[in-house]
Amino acid sequence: MSTPLLHPGVRPPGPDALDALHSRLDALERRAGARAIAVAVYDTATHAHFRRHAERWFHAASTIKVAMLLGVYSAIHHGWLMPHSRLHVRNRFFSAVDGQTFRVLADRDANSDVHEAIGRMMRISDLALHMIATSSNLATNLLLDLVGIETVQRALDELHIDGIDIRRGVEDERAFERGINNRVTADGLVQLLRLVAEERAFSPELSREMLGILHAQEFRNGIPARLPPAVRVAHKTGEISTVAHDAGVVYPPGRKPYVIAVLTEWEPEAAGRSATIAEVSHAVYELLTGETTPEPARETVNG
Amino acid sequence: MGESYRFPLPVVDGLRLDKPLRDALMPGRYVHDDDGYTRKLPRYFYEVPSWEHAMNIQLTPGFALWEFIQSDVRETAVLRGFPRYVPCAITMVALCLERFRDAVGTYVHIAANGGYRSPRHALNSNATPHSWGTAVNIYRIGDTFLDDREAIERYAALARQTLAGVWTRPFGSGRGQTDDHLHLDFGYVLAMPRGAPEEHLGFDAERRAS
Repeated sequence: MSTPLLHPGVRPPGPDALDALHSRLDALERRAGARAIAVAVYDTATHAHFRRHAERWFHAASTIKVAMLLGVYSAIHHGWLMPHSRLHVRNRFFSAVDGQTFRVLADRDANSDVHEAIGRMMRISDLALHMIATSSNLATNLLLDLVGIETVQRALDELHIDGIDIRRGVEDERAFERGINNRVTADGLVQLLRLVAEERAFSPELSREMLGILHAQEFRNGIPARLPPAVRVAHKTGEISTVAHDAGVVYPPGRKPYVIAVLTEWEPEAAGRSATIAEVSHAVYELLTGETTPEPARETVNG
Repeated sequence: MGESYRFPLPVVDGLRLDKPLRDALMPGRYVHDDDGYTRKLPRYFYEVPSWEHAMNIQLTPGFALWEFIQSDVRETAVLRGFPRYVPCAITMVALCLERFRDAVGTYVHIAANGGYRSPRHALNSNATPHSWGTAVNIYRIGDTFLDDREAIERYAALARQTLAGVWTRPFGSGRGQTDDHLHLDFGYVLAMPRGAPEEHLGFDAERRAS
């Protein structure tokens, strides 16, 4: 943990506090029965870092959509797309395994708005919003089909982000069965989100647009769930049978934000995943702000 | 003269348009289709001044012009704005679709990118009748989405019974097949309505002379 004091009134946590957080997360991992909990934190106020298994690779689940958002905005940045450009909504994609077609089943998608637009067109900006805020798999595959995996990878490379490995779209069951999956590390997601939070992803304007989309997140049972209501969080969740993640930028009132990624792996039948992420988030919040917060009283939404 | 109604859009000679539009529309140019045959692209187009015009011009009781010109970001940029250009054959295709609509007895929905597509549209590889304005992709009829074999083949059969000479793309997920819409096309039809600018020593003559 580096320790420069760069933001008035905000001090980085000392070694004892960091050790205590490590111990707390070790205990939480045992108690929750998680196979693994990885955490990466970067504090823009103090430039302090916290890392726990931050370079461990996980199946990305829907957190890969943050990289896809970056790819879309890369295309906008390069002038290949405009946010108001329109795209044909078509539910027909090609597997990364063999090029066979597959569809995103409506009953496996959290969002119905995009499915209802099949045959018609939607704006790129609206699809990007649905991809993040309601985690629409159809919107995700449409956007990836348009910009291409190469564009996303090139954007990651241009911004020197490692720890994100994009291989395919979502709901590609044939690829999943063959082990062809998108992967992330906690460090990778924090690198990406830090650039966005610091408005260094392409341009301040485009970074703010991406942040606006991340702020619209509707699934709030992870990072934000146990934080005070005044704390704003721009984030993206991700969950499949064996992993549950959340990564985002946390804005405590009156303080510069910090970036956090919490990646967890579980037995398929395990419960308490979101609560575990919320507890990690809560512990990091207490560490960085020095505030102790009461037990949760807010309603959360699954997703 | 028995003229009682004048179609509200001017006919323009694509060869007289500005170069960016000529490059996009490729008027009168020859291209190859999937079978390797050479096909001549349309030279004459209706000029559509605005989206509002496209919305308000009923080609038939069941089909407005806008339904044939919905193209997404994959269309070349110069053709996503206005004025926009659509081959003159579009009016006759609308008449055929009206007949099909009568046969199915309900609304027929043309998909985005499923009407006119310029030769530069990113979805095109070889020549496609979409670039003649003579093909449509129908994704929905009434409340039925055409996304399975049963629905696509049922309506394809009905189209062939109703519309002499129509070609329907076979069901399937391979190249040249369709599994999420009904593709109807009338081939590489060139239309030159009355009022089209006179064809002097145009492209064809120049081509023959060269």
